[in-house]
Amino acid sequence: MHKILVVDDEENIRFLYKEELEDDGYKVTVAATAEEAMKKILEDKPDVITLDIKMPGMDGIEFMRKLKEERKDIPVILCSAYGRFKQDFRVWASDAYVVKSADLSELKLTIKEVLGEVEPK
Amino acid sequence: MKDNSQGLKIFQEITRIANSTLDIDEILEKIIEVIQSKLHIDACAIYIADDNHKQFKLKAAIGLPKDTAQFIQLELGKGVTGWVAEHHKTLALSDAHNDPRFVYFPEIEEEKFNAMLSVPIMVDKQCIGVINIHNEDQREYSDLSIFMMETIASQVSGCIRNAMLFNKSQMLLKEQTILYDISLAVQTSTQLEHGLWIILSGVTMGEAGGFNRAMVFIINESTNTLRGFMGLGPDSSEDAFRIWTRWGRKKKNMLQWVVQQAEKEEYKNSTFNQFVQGLNFPIRPNENILVETVLQKTSFNVTDADNHPLVSEDFKQALQANAFATVPLIAHKEVLGAILVDNRYNNNPISDEQLRLLTRFATHAGWVIENSRLFTKLLDTNRELLSTREQLVQSEKLAALGEISAEVTHEIKNPLVSIGGFARRLENSINDLFKKYENEKELEKIAGYSKIIRSEVSRMEKLLTNILNYSKAGTLQRAPCNINELIEEAVFLFKSGFYMKDIAIHFELEKNIPPLSLDKTQVKQVLINLFFNAMESMPSGGSLTIKAYPETYVGGQKIITLSIEDTGGGIPQDIYENIFNPFFTTKSTGTGLGLSISRKIIEMHGGTIRVENSIGQGVQVYLHLPLQNCPD
Repeated sequence: MHKILVVDDEENIRFLYKEELEDDGYKVTVAATAEEAMKKILEDKPDVITLDIKMPGMDGIEFMRKLKEERKDIPVILCSAYGRFKQDFRVWASDAYVVKSADLSELKLTIKEVLGEVEPK
Repeated sequence: MKDNSQGLKIFQEITRIANSTLDIDEILEKIIEVIQSKLHIDACAIYIADDNHKQFKLKAAIGLPKDTAQFIQLELGKGVTGWVAEHHKTLALSDAHNDPRFVYFPEIEEEKFNAMLSVPIMVDKQCIGVINIHNEDQREYSDLSIFMMETIASQVSGCIRNAMLFNKSQMLLKEQTILYDISLAVQTSTQLEHGLWIILSGVTMGEAGGFNRAMVFIINESTNTLRGFMGLGPDSSEDAFRIWTRWGRKKKNMLQWVVQQAEKEEYKNSTFNQFVQGLNFPIRPNENILVETVLQKTSFNVTDADNHPLVSEDFKQALQANAFATVPLIAHKEVLGAILVDNRYNNNPISDEQLRLLTRFATHAGWVIENSRLFTKLLDTNRELLSTREQLVQSEKLAALGEISAEVTHEIKNPLVSIGGFARRLENSINDLFKKYENEKELEKIAGYSKIIRSEVSRMEKLLTNILNYSKAGTLQRAPCNINELIEEAVFLFKSGFYMKDIAIHFELEKNIPPLSLDKTQVKQVLINLFFNAMESMPSGGSLTIKAYPETYVGGQKIITLSIEDTGGGIPQDIYENIFNPFFTTKSTGTGLGLSISRKIIEMHGGTIRVENSIGQGVQVYLHLPLQNCPD
């Protein structure tokens, strides 16, 4: 069973992702801040991280930069409310980029892709 | 004794004449009268050398046939006079006809004179003239006579020397006056054409430069050619004659008359001007003498075009003058073009003196061109600043709208994702329940309600996406762009501002930075914003360091970093925390959008902007721009 860490400062989004992804058979842990996420990575050793960009304190991009310097192996899916970060060169270091939507099918497909369960589009 | 007192009288007389006037012709006439009346001679003639001391021309005579004698020219070394001039020695001949050096000149009816005394007039070991006295009888001139004539000759020499110095100083004064008039006239005009026209008028006017024709060529940097700009001069010999007689009547202060009265536009239609404007030479070595003038920054005085190595047959054919001169136009040590002059119609050789004067005219012309260039540049810069300001205001308005909509969208989007997400879950759960309890019609109704929520949420999501796409669409017009050039362009707009506030600019721009795909106008706006902030932070001087260099980001991405560092003391902490917030400003005239727009523009380019604040020292702004285009 693959483990997913959901990092988002919005409680309801974390809850939604957790419910949806657990329904699909993943083990899901959540974190509300970058600092909390760092702890969870060490404790739970997730296979994939979904990461919100806009967060109070250290933002998603900065967190990913730190993470990628130490742990290149864990795939990171950046999630943002809008697509404008798609062009930010710093985002290119992530493994995937998903624009948040009430319809989670794109996110779910992307998770499968980075886990190698399906061929990328 | 009698001779002695006679001699003294003569000297007294001659000294009086010498001191009475500076007009050399008048002096010579009077001296000759004294010689004739006091020395009992039959004829007397004074010859004065030309500038080269090769030809001697009769300047004053008595006892010789007037109408023919005035055309006499004697050559150095030829005849008795020529011998005296060449050897700098007095010659007294009682029977001149039988002297081997004698050459017969019928014009002065020499056959009737037997005795002749010829005395050189010396100035600085150079023979500048000869005084001859003639007697019909065969007479031996006494030592006293010879001594007297030599003394008179040295007096005459003094007079001529004074007159020459006087003429020279008069000429210099005239030159100064003309140059002064020209510089005054030129100062009042920022128009290139008018300024150069005044100068060329000076160059071609009889009392100033005196050249028959003059033409100006200006370097065109974009095509790297030397282009004919203006030609001033008659179209033909007849035309020349007409112009010169017309101008000749207005003797006094012709330049002023030219500057104020003459028809300035008249030259434009002349064949000659049109011919000059049609000339265009590529600037490269061995092209022609004009191009060489520009390349070597030296003047040329071509006395014989047929045999000059730098004058091609074509060039000579086009010019149709065998003698001409060229001078470069220089301002700030930079060569801007060249002037070419000739004397096509009167064929006068061009003297070094004239060339020197021409060089002075050229200096003025250089300044005229430079002034007009600076003036045009100033106008251009001003226009650019105005349009940049216009654009800034425009994009600030747009950005304000964009900032608001981005904030609002983000704030709406997150709850919407939750609402929509849970509505989906709700719908699915109810549908599952409905499968279990098919009779519960209420459940079907509830499933319908949550379906409505889901679809309405996705409608709103689409709407938000459209708004965001719309505010983003068409805002970037990317083109390959040299970042260093862009920096220099933006700095140029602040040149005077920096100068006035005593801000030193240091560039550390790495060469060979590959071109970036940027929206030039928008990134320039960012730079302008940043330079403006930096300038404002250093009202009483400081230094601005601008760097550009390539870097590698995490994941191996190549980026270009620009850093702009000022010494304005930094930003107070409470202000620093707000600098990127829209509508935050400390300036009474600002909208508070400068930095937030800048950030938006940089982010749209896929880059980032970072500010390092050292309180008490200054601010260092970093712009990181991706080198390759984004993968999408």
